[in-house]
Amino acid sequence: MSDDKGMIKIRNLHKVFGRDLHVLAGIDLDVHTGEVVTILGPSGSGKSTLLRCINFLEEPTAGTIEVDGVAIKAGEKSSDHAAKILDIRKKTGMCFQAFNLFPHMTAIANVIEGPVTVLGQSKKEAIPYAEELLEWVGLSDKRDEYPARLSGGQQQRVAIARSLAMKPKIMLFDEPTSALDPELVGEVVDVMERLAEEGMTIIAVTHEMHFARDVSTRVFIMDGGNWIENGPPGEIFTNPKEKRSQQFLAHIL
Amino acid sequence: MDQLNSVAERGIPSEALEVMKRIDARRRNFSINLKISLAVMVGLLIGSLVVLGLDFKFMGKWLGFILTGLGFTLLVSVCAISLACIFSVLGALGRLSRNPILNGMATLYVSLIRGTPLLVQVYMWYLALPQIGGALQNLGFTGIQKYLTLPAIPAGIMALAVCYGAYMTETVRAGIQSIKIGQNEAAKALGMTDGQAMRRVIFPQALRVIIPPVSNEFIAMVKDSSLVSLMGVWELSFRAIKIGRRYFQSLEMLVLVAMIYWVMCIILQTIQERIEKHMARGERGEHG
Repeated sequence: MSDDKGMIKIRNLHKVFGRDLHVLAGIDLDVHTGEVVTILGPSGSGKSTLLRCINFLEEPTAGTIEVDGVAIKAGEKSSDHAAKILDIRKKTGMCFQAFNLFPHMTAIANVIEGPVTVLGQSKKEAIPYAEELLEWVGLSDKRDEYPARLSGGQQQRVAIARSLAMKPKIMLFDEPTSALDPELVGEVVDVMERLAEEGMTIIAVTHEMHFARDVSTRVFIMDGGNWIENGPPGEIFTNPKEKRSQQFLAHIL
Repeated sequence: MDQLNSVAERGIPSEALEVMKRIDARRRNFSINLKISLAVMVGLLIGSLVVLGLDFKFMGKWLGFILTGLGFTLLVSVCAISLACIFSVLGALGRLSRNPILNGMATLYVSLIRGTPLLVQVYMWYLALPQIGGALQNLGFTGIQKYLTLPAIPAGIMALAVCYGAYMTETVRAGIQSIKIGQNEAAKALGMTDGQAMRRVIFPQALRVIIPPVSNEFIAMVKDSSLVSLMGVWELSFRAIKIGRRYFQSLEMLVLVAMIYWVMCIILQTIQERIEKHMARGERGEHG
């Protein structure tokens, strides 16, 4: 399982909301260790839903999802289903559009929350690495601030540090810069870029063009709940094959 | 003059100063006038009591005796609100539970208790429960009656706790549901179980929302604790009513006991404001 370097393997993934809102229509996706994948697509095409299915914030309706050797089939009734979901969540970090920092905790308390509550570390054990992470995202001086006192960009960087504290194998970014003022986008993308350089496996839903073009190793374009095409960014941005990709890219470039 | 200079330095035109002064004065005048009007009204209230010829000497004489009832009032209120907090958290978790049995129990609890008068419930705990014990004993549960025969104070505490627990269940549930879904998702994404997410992330935030209405309930309960006097507990109002009747000076005694309750509630309200201010840390600066 480890020799094919597959970090994420998704087969025939479907997600139906209610009775007939078919958001994901049979997605396949393979992501190898160290790959940086950007998912693009018009709004409502199912990008976020796909990301949220990977760590089971949305329960898939059909298909299988495998993350770092832990495979879950949608709708299976095995006794360890819940345990496997927790296992996958521990292996994946996620950053949200709205940051979702815990507002009643300081920056440092946010970062140690995962290791302390989920991994059972003592605060003492967790704090040195958390401080390291805050320094790595450039926020050592905001260690004891509450989220309400931080700018959006700072909040998102703390959120990234919070995810990294769990030492995830893969990071999921769900439009991490969409809620930010334009001048704050750079600081967050910069952190994501350094994360990619350090070899983190990343799947990002983002319209941030610098990240998509220069940082990611593969770009996927999605519409109507399935892929239109994918390939290295150089190819996708200069020479898209599908007409729908061309139309979409013409809009955002 | 200092103010004028500093304003000029900041580049604010001098005609703006008049407007700023007026806005400032309006705010200051309001708070002064409010204090004056409150003082006048309290003065009128006291004055009218004097005009009515209230026997203040009599009130002073019995003040000590009535205040000894304060202990019972506080004992009952504090025990009852503590239990009510526990009941309401359990009730709220039940109301939010996806388990049909737990959810059903919590829903029935809230509906039944909120739908019946507290007065009836007090008698239920005090007078009817021993009868239930007797019936159960006849059915073969020997020795159960003595556990279901509650003395007045425990019966009163249970009645108040169960009743307020039901009202507060809805408060707590609403508080929990007011926390944005993203908080739960962020906790889940870290790998927390439902219980961990509730304990570490959702509930501490909900608490901040819940505190004001719960303090409100507590203030109401301090006054409803006078219902235990129905069972012959010598608490504040019971003492006042007894003395008032004995000497045909009910007005004095009722005014006196009302004042005691009022002062207690003002103190509680001050404590509530302190707690709220303390809990608001982390929110600070959100609007400025």
